[in-house]
Amino acid sequence: MTKMRSDRLKIVFMLCLAFVTTGGQHFESKVAQLLQDETEDIKCFVEGKDLTCFWEEEEEKNNLHDQYTFTYSYENKNKMPCAVSSLSLLASNKTIFFCKLSKPPFFATLNVQVLRDGRMLYSRSLNAENFLFLDPPRNLTVLSSGKEGQLNVSWLPPPLKYMDDSMIYEVRYAVEGSNMGKVEVIKVSTMLVLLGLQSDTRYKVWVRVKPDGVSYKGYWSAWTEPVFGVTPPSDMDPLIVLLVLFIGLILCLLSLTVFLSQHKFLLKKLWPDIPTPEHKFPGLFTVYKGDFKEWMSQNNGSMWGRSVHVYTEELASPLEVLSEVSLTSHGTSQREERKPPEEEEEKESERSDSGLTDRWREPPQAHWLMEQLKALQENPESRSQSSLLQSHDTYVTLNQGDNERQADDVFEETLPLQTLFTTAGTSSLSTSRSDLGSLQQSSGSGRLSSQSSFEYPNHTWPPKGPGYAYMAVADSGVSMDYSPMSSSRIAELGRHRMYTNDYKNEIFPHKWPFSGQYIKSGSESCAGPVW
Amino acid sequence: MQTFSGLVSVLMVFVWLGGNQVSPLRPICDLRVLDHFVREARDSEVIMRGCRGGCGVMKPYLVPLTSVDFAVWEHIDVHGQAVEVWIGLSLLDQALSNAMKTVSNSPLANALDNNISNIHSLGHILHSLDLQQARSTVLPDDSAPASTQTQEVSSLSELLQVQSSFLRGKVRLLLSAAPACQRQNS
Repeated sequence: MTKMRSDRLKIVFMLCLAFVTTGGQHFESKVAQLLQDETEDIKCFVEGKDLTCFWEEEEEKNNLHDQYTFTYSYENKNKMPCAVSSLSLLASNKTIFFCKLSKPPFFATLNVQVLRDGRMLYSRSLNAENFLFLDPPRNLTVLSSGKEGQLNVSWLPPPLKYMDDSMIYEVRYAVEGSNMGKVEVIKVSTMLVLLGLQSDTRYKVWVRVKPDGVSYKGYWSAWTEPVFGVTPPSDMDPLIVLLVLFIGLILCLLSLTVFLSQHKFLLKKLWPDIPTPEHKFPGLFTVYKGDFKEWMSQNNGSMWGRSVHVYTEELASPLEVLSEVSLTSHGTSQREERKPPEEEEEKESERSDSGLTDRWREPPQAHWLMEQLKALQENPESRSQSSLLQSHDTYVTLNQGDNERQADDVFEETLPLQTLFTTAGTSSLSTSRSDLGSLQQSSGSGRLSSQSSFEYPNHTWPPKGPGYAYMAVADSGVSMDYSPMSSSRIAELGRHRMYTNDYKNEIFPHKWPFSGQYIKSGSESCAGPVW
Repeated sequence: MQTFSGLVSVLMVFVWLGGNQVSPLRPICDLRVLDHFVREARDSEVIMRGCRGGCGVMKPYLVPLTSVDFAVWEHIDVHGQAVEVWIGLSLLDQALSNAMKTVSNSPLANALDNNISNIHSLGHILHSLDLQQARSTVLPDDSAPASTQTQEVSSLSELLQVQSSFLRGKVRLLLSAAPACQRQNS
């Protein structure tokens, strides 16, 4: 029993100590604040219902509170004394003397005086209701209201009778971590809704209180301890969501429409077809499984004409190989000039001369040449004649045949050129800018006899007859080695071996009076059919 | 003599107020009305402080006591409080009227006239709160409280200060604790 009582007494004592300590903290903090803010020598404030007046210790350190006398009077009544106490402030290392009047008269003028050793030190007249120094508000609460950018703030007023309707509050709020805050003032009411806040943000809120100044006046209380609140995240406006979905749907439909209408074009751009030569050789890869000999034998006549026709239509860097044609038989205004072999070599190696291309696109000249070639074939003895031509294009003649025939072929091939060049003279050489397909003489390989292209006055090309083989060397890399040959020669195809299409420009010195060197061009390897 | 004159003036005020019987009023419980009167009383003090000439003469004025001891006040019943308020208002009305006769300064005279009107309005408010009935029961039996409830001031500025303190103190406490207003709130 005694143990229980002693425990209870201990608890009560601890509570009282805590209360006094808390109150003491409030008291000391208020004193410290007024020491800074109040300019009067004797500073007074009302805490609760008690009036406290205090003053600072003077310069001399040996002051004792017994030296001081505090008196007060009001409404012409006699002066009444008040006990003086001292307090050492830990924060500012200062000592103050104070007097606390318990339940002083309000709404009456008080006259207070401080005397030291009988002499008046300080004097002041004041109304107690004008110096209220309230404690901070209690139970500050910050809650989310559920609405975007809003917080509900509520608190309880300090416990003070008769004055609840004379309070004014100041609410300060700031984003956590930020020093920039806003202040809202509210009268009498102890709750406030903060508006216009950022969504999904943590806020700090403080509150303080003061008498409104009509019936009661006083100092601002200390700020409460900060309380945190989080604003709700922003709601997606349903209208915006609908609009976004609608626009997205429209964009999808548009892109789908574009894709469906242009899918072939897009496919071609993104995934281009790998060019194959199949369309040039109908049935070669499907029927004859790539056996060109068979295919050739089956498709001899029509294929030639067709391929020739196709090649004439070929636009990309056509390098037409003419059969050996003696153009001198007609004695026309054809003129052929020979370029230095080096140019020929370069042109052959390039294979995509734009000049060649341009010239190839002139069908009238092709027709004229065809006619010439036809005529020449019909009159082989006219090969010895040559005519000087202004040339712009290059004709490369592939001569297919046995080795033993090569000399003859060479002779046949070179003769027209030789003849041409002997009659051409130097003037043509200087004016012509076209390339000269140099002759190629190589044993066991396809030979090329090149002739300059010509520029015809009437811009006509001779038609290409079935007896003449042309090879337009296109970029596809497929090259066919044709030679101007009759059907008898075609029969000999099977006897020739497969060769890679190495073009080697070799100029026999005895054939060419003014080219005394071998020129080897850059060879191009093209897989060609077996001859 | 002074006590007797004070008592007579109080009686006259009561008769005057009794003569002005009006129909029962709706209770006026909004203290912002009283706050308005308090501000105008403070304005008079400010004008008085800035007055230079024609600001009245030095003469004694009988005014009520304004000090409030909450511990004592809470022990007085509402009727006793009402009596104190009624007496104080009547004394102030008389004093202000006497003072205005000696004031030639126009702004100050206007301010004093406002204050007198406000005191009359407060009478109506107390009437609406049904607090005037107490006077007839209390006053004949207790004349002594009149002397203890008054004081004398010697200047207009002191008179205005008393008016301000009286309105903010006793009158406000009475109105905030008026039973008619408590019945409305509950």
